Amino acid sequence: MLKIILRRFLIAIPQLVGISLMTFALIQLTPGNFFDTLKLDPQISPQTIERYEKMYHLNEPWVNQYWAWLKNLFQGDLGYSFFYKVQVSSIIGSRLFNTFILALASFLLTWFVAIPLGIWAAVHRNRFIDRLIQLFSYIALSTPSFFLGMILLFVFSQIGGLPLGGMHSPDYEDLSWGGKVFDLLKHLLIPTLAISVGSIGALQRIMRGNMLEVLRHQYILAARAKGLPEHRVIYHHALRNAINPLITLLGYEFSGLLSGAALVEIICSWPGLGSLMLTAVRSKDLYLVMASMMMGGILFLIGNLIADILLVIADPRIRYD
Amino acid sequence: MNLPREIHSFLRIFLVFVFLLVPSVFVLAEGVSPHHGGQLVLATTSDPKSFNAITAKETSTTLVTSYMFEGLTRVNGVTMQVEPHLAESWEVSEDGLTWTFHLRDDVQWFDGQPLTADDVVFTFQDLIFNDQIPNSARDIFTIDGKIFNVGKVDDHTVKFILPFKFAPFLWGMTQEILPRHVLKAAVEKGEFNFTWGIDTPPGKIIGTGPYRLVRYNPGERLVFERNPHYWKKSSEGDQLPYIEKIVYLIIQNVDVGLLKFLDGEVDSVSLRGIDYPLVKPREQEGNFTIYETGPDFGTNFITFNQNSGKNPKTEESFVSPYKLAWFTNVHFRQAVAYAIDKKKIIEIVMNGLGTPQSSSMSPSSGFFYNPDVHDYEYDLDKAREILKREGFVDHNQDGILEDLEGHPLEFNLYTNSGATDRVQMAGIIRHDLQAIGMKVNFLPIEFNNLVKKLTADFDWDAIIIGLTGGVEPHFGKNVWSSDGGLHMWFPNQAAPATEWEKRIDEIFSQGVQELDPVRRKGLYDEFQVIVSEQLPVIYTVLGNTVYAVRNKFGNLHPTSYGGIFHNLEEIYIKENYK
Repeated sequence: MLKIILRRFLIAIPQLVGISLMTFALIQLTPGNFFDTLKLDPQISPQTIERYEKMYHLNEPWVNQYWAWLKNLFQGDLGYSFFYKVQVSSIIGSRLFNTFILALASFLLTWFVAIPLGIWAAVHRNRFIDRLIQLFSYIALSTPSFFLGMILLFVFSQIGGLPLGGMHSPDYEDLSWGGKVFDLLKHLLIPTLAISVGSIGALQRIMRGNMLEVLRHQYILAARAKGLPEHRVIYHHALRNAINPLITLLGYEFSGLLSGAALVEIICSWPGLGSLMLTAVRSKDLYLVMASMMMGGILFLIGNLIADILLVIADPRIRYD
Repeated sequence: MNLPREIHSFLRIFLVFVFLLVPSVFVLAEGVSPHHGGQLVLATTSDPKSFNAITAKETSTTLVTSYMFEGLTRVNGVTMQVEPHLAESWEVSEDGLTWTFHLRDDVQWFDGQPLTADDVVFTFQDLIFNDQIPNSARDIFTIDGKIFNVGKVDDHTVKFILPFKFAPFLWGMTQEILPRHVLKAAVEKGEFNFTWGIDTPPGKIIGTGPYRLVRYNPGERLVFERNPHYWKKSSEGDQLPYIEKIVYLIIQNVDVGLLKFLDGEVDSVSLRGIDYPLVKPREQEGNFTIYETGPDFGTNFITFNQNSGKNPKTEESFVSPYKLAWFTNVHFRQAVAYAIDKKKIIEIVMNGLGTPQSSSMSPSSGFFYNPDVHDYEYDLDKAREILKREGFVDHNQDGILEDLEGHPLEFNLYTNSGATDRVQMAGIIRHDLQAIGMKVNFLPIEFNNLVKKLTADFDWDAIIIGLTGGVEPHFGKNVWSSDGGLHMWFPNQAAPATEWEKRIDEIFSQGVQELDPVRRKGLYDEFQVIVSEQLPVIYTVLGNTVYAVRNKFGNLHPTSYGGIFHNLEEIYIKENYK
């Protein structure tokens, strides 16, 4: 097992270099650079723009730029942001944590609601409760998360009780430990709901489908026939088999953790990475984009690794030797 | 006391009355007269990019730096005239080349150090004119490649020696002054470009302004506190500023910002045309006032490519010769101007909150605005008649005119796809031009692509774009003089291609040297008339600025130029506001 993990890590290095090369090339091959916006300002001379471009080595061929970036990367230097004129790492730091909190909250909510809901719906197939869950899933799936966020904000602006966006109350610093947690939870509720509702709908449907598939198998019939209690049939025999494909899915979801919520972050004024990265891509803030792509790439590889390990644990039939 | 009983009891009642009344009188007085305290909560759509007032100039940065840093002069938000600020007075020599500024002696940096002439010399000599520090202020203080000479006379006197006469000099002196004692080390180490970035602890940013930054939570909020040692006093002798605290919430989505305003969390928002009908009926109940301050400064125009040059690599003309013949024909451009339905654009794109533009200066720019320019009222028949006179006739009856050589009147119209209002505007203009027999292929493209077309490739027919305007006409020189890089219709000309471009070049080089305001205005008036007759750019409409402000503030004088809080240090919160 350990050998597998080690091998995966070694393969990851050329994979990441490949991802970075692709991204770098794609950004550089599109016309223009970050300082294009300055070119339409009547008060800024071309000489000034040249000075800026020289400062960030944008006047050199992109292969040279890439090489310099890669060398710095191995020394732990992510480069400077053109926009913010500070180290990329110092911008990302706090926002990474904020995005992680939101992603974790919606991840937990989604999985802890969707899995039981899917099982429940499968067990009560075609009964009223199943139909109701499926109806809500359809509606949830077809509502974009940012739109739902907007609606939630509007609803709570009318009834009150929850902060309209943001992450901390203005008096956050003065709150007690428990007060801080409560304040954070209050702020988390709207964005978490906005992100999770759609995913719950999707995941619940997958879970239900898997479960129904497994319940059709003959060993379930056999288990029932030998007189096992129903809950044991469902939770011990059926569930363990039905959940396998979801573990693979979990690996993929992991890579989307940091980027999946950009629009909701914008709507809910959540100080996360998503909105920062969206602006960076649009304004061609090269090294900030690179940092985000690399993080996404790393998370993707880690997510797949975790999924593979979990699969071995959950299903004794799978082996990597 | 031996007073008669009646009088005694009267006195008692009287005294009780007085004690009851006096506090309420005080309360009333405080309700109307300025006083200290309270907080102002505003919303902004993006994080500041830097706290460095020299290297960063985009609005999200100046929003923050303008509270903390000040210039020798400043522009009054109402009169739009230059007035003394950190300098209490100045003189100019006979030849107009030597300017002497006398600094106030009561100005302190946030850390208690006094502001001196050394700081001013440092800001210009070591920062702005430093080759290692790319900054746009340098472009304002460079005339024909020559920089200004700045020298200290004594601790509170600075002398500027200019290479040429420079009429907007006092405007330029609004340049923020930065502290030498704080930044000298960074400049010597060559680190100034990355100094005072957004990762700097707020306490380390030292300015002289009315407010200092005390907290910045990225993506969430900026908090400013009143500078208790600010130099400015009100006319009644009160220490300014009045408001204790300013909070900026960073709310990326403007709809959410509006929601927060209606909810009472934010004190003021700028309204778009589409918001107006929703917000206006709630003025009473929401306890706020809507201020319409008139046209803003951001222009929108259509321009045709008149570049007669060739691509040096492929030897092909930037514009095909027959199209160039149309675009360089002033009558063609006039016909287009007559065909644009500005009223419809205002109705559809701006929800009625717009102003047709005919002069190249905004009507809000005051002194230099010339209202007496050639105006093109929407008139399709006139447009058709002009085209017919110029030989554009629909010979083959396909609804599209042909020129004398039989080329159909068809061209590409570009704009940047991100600007939804401009895309809408282009749709209307395209429709209007089709009505007079032109076939317009409308192509919204990425902003970077558009910039590349305008400044490097030059391979376009027509473009709809906008520029931010201002009050000082000289700062548009890069657009108007024929060798300018932003002279979009034919940039970087070696010699002016037409007589009228030659005249505009003369006006701009004379105007910048003309120190007499009236004669100077005469020159720029003429320039505005020429542009309206020759139509190198065909203006469409200006948006009107509309603000909603909670009824909480005193001393408020909103204008288009300055916005709501341009005189922030004098604004106070009314006591009777609940």
